[in-house]
Amino acid sequence: MAVLGIAAPRKWDRDNMEPRVREILDRTVRDRPNGPYRAKTADQVATILQNYFAVTEGLTQVAISDVVRMAGGASKEQFAFRLRHAGDAEGTRLILRMDPLEGITQTCRGRESQLHMAMKGVVPIAGIRSFDADGDVLGQPGMIMEFVSGVTQPTEVDKVGVTGIGSRFDDWVPKLAPQFIDAYIKVHGFDFSKADLSYFNVPRPGTTDAALWQVNWWSQLGWNALLEPVPIITLAERWLRENAPVCEKPVIVHGDLRMGNFMFEEPSGRFTAILDWELGHIGDYHEDIAWVIQKLFGVWREDGVFLVCGLMPRDEFLGLYQAQSGNVIDPVKLRYYEILNAYKCAVMDLSQAIRAATESNNHQDLVLTMLASAGAVFLAQIVLLLREA
Amino acid sequence: MLPNIDVRLANCIKALEQVVIPSLPPGERMAREQALLVIGHLKMIGGQWKHALRFETASLDAMADLARAIAVSDPGFNGELTTALAATETIDRRDIDAVEAAVGRVGTAIDHAILGEEGTQPLSPAAIDAILAYGERQAFRERTWFKLCGLDPDAGELPAIEAVV
Repeated sequence: MAVLGIAAPRKWDRDNMEPRVREILDRTVRDRPNGPYRAKTADQVATILQNYFAVTEGLTQVAISDVVRMAGGASKEQFAFRLRHAGDAEGTRLILRMDPLEGITQTCRGRESQLHMAMKGVVPIAGIRSFDADGDVLGQPGMIMEFVSGVTQPTEVDKVGVTGIGSRFDDWVPKLAPQFIDAYIKVHGFDFSKADLSYFNVPRPGTTDAALWQVNWWSQLGWNALLEPVPIITLAERWLRENAPVCEKPVIVHGDLRMGNFMFEEPSGRFTAILDWELGHIGDYHEDIAWVIQKLFGVWREDGVFLVCGLMPRDEFLGLYQAQSGNVIDPVKLRYYEILNAYKCAVMDLSQAIRAATESNNHQDLVLTMLASAGAVFLAQIVLLLREA
Repeated sequence: MLPNIDVRLANCIKALEQVVIPSLPPGERMAREQALLVIGHLKMIGGQWKHALRFETASLDAMADLARAIAVSDPGFNGELTTALAATETIDRRDIDAVEAAVGRVGTAIDHAILGEEGTQPLSPAAIDAILAYGERQAFRERTWFKLCGLDPDAGELPAIEAVV
């Protein structure tokens, strides 16, 4: 690892981030004392939604029924429900995705909704009926999505981890793997120039903005939530600042594009929706690639080969991506984003998740502390990667 | 101590597995998931509680060793590091809360050294090597401590907790 010397002042400008991200980080600190947060009951959700549709759409005779909490998810409360009103007696099945007071990360429902709307027709994705970016009507920030059916892991596969992590797909691989690759191609190839992404800023091509905006986002989240210092996380932050690479052509980055966030039908395996766009931003495609090849999201085959997301060996994944996207994977940039991603995961697990659980500000604090207990996996990964850098 | 902590933890797990979870309606997926997580945490706690103080004092000692190494390699930060180290010498090492607080104090001084006044002060290669060596050892200890969480893809290579306390 190179000596860490004195870097250009801009690399340490902690305010160099997207304004909306800054607002979310500031809001998190401001609202933190408002806890503890209690999981919403079905009755509470029905009342909130009844008011929401009357206020935002002017609907009359609004009736909310069949409210069902959806399992999983370490950062959002999600409910399926049926909306009936004077103009729709039969009703429509919808999803409410709403922030608890704090989660394992802090993101913007406005940004997530805009990405859904921009990517509709490009990749399988749930439609957005409306969103409340600051919780003005819902009480907490949230979005109303169309209901999409499907599963995120085959129902007969029993090796399943928290939030879909560590699943293995065996006989499903031929059906899922091609769509998995195709999703990366389409997301990274999307021309976002004409899309309404007003909650986003575009990093300047040919600069280090893309990397440094991420470093500033995640380091600020971590410092704001810090309970106990972790020297290796701090060392990683300094290295990330001083080695930020140039991004030549910013693309849409999903931020958590992995199995567990792909919904598909059984038995066809056809993808019906790409989920969980909350970490989405405009940045460097290496970030998504480096994210999905993390050990945490894969499994080891009996012959000792590591399978990316339980689907295919790493080299096969990288080869297919490059061949089909035309994007060249620069090993130095890939390594940088592997370190950035391990850093992000460490910050989530060992700062934000534990802070949220300590303040009792999440609807399932127990999931956060379970995920946090894997934080050292990322510390070990950071050490390994920094030594090789 | 009668009944002892191990028996009470085992009783909790049995009640959840044999009474609470089977009684949950099929539609209560979140409740079922939460109950399973409670069982997972209780099993981890069962393996950890006897070693918790020793684990945390060893963490403090490792952090203090790192602080001493940086104080030598990067003398510009000697003052804050030495002050933090001195404060740890008077704590009651039988009190886990005091030990945790000391880890925080020393760690904060180390963080300041690593950041080098927002990158305006270099960090020596010797300090970097010491931080990486510390990080490797501490990550291994913590992965071992939490290996029952089921999220470590290399859990099979980890020893029993007794090996890291």
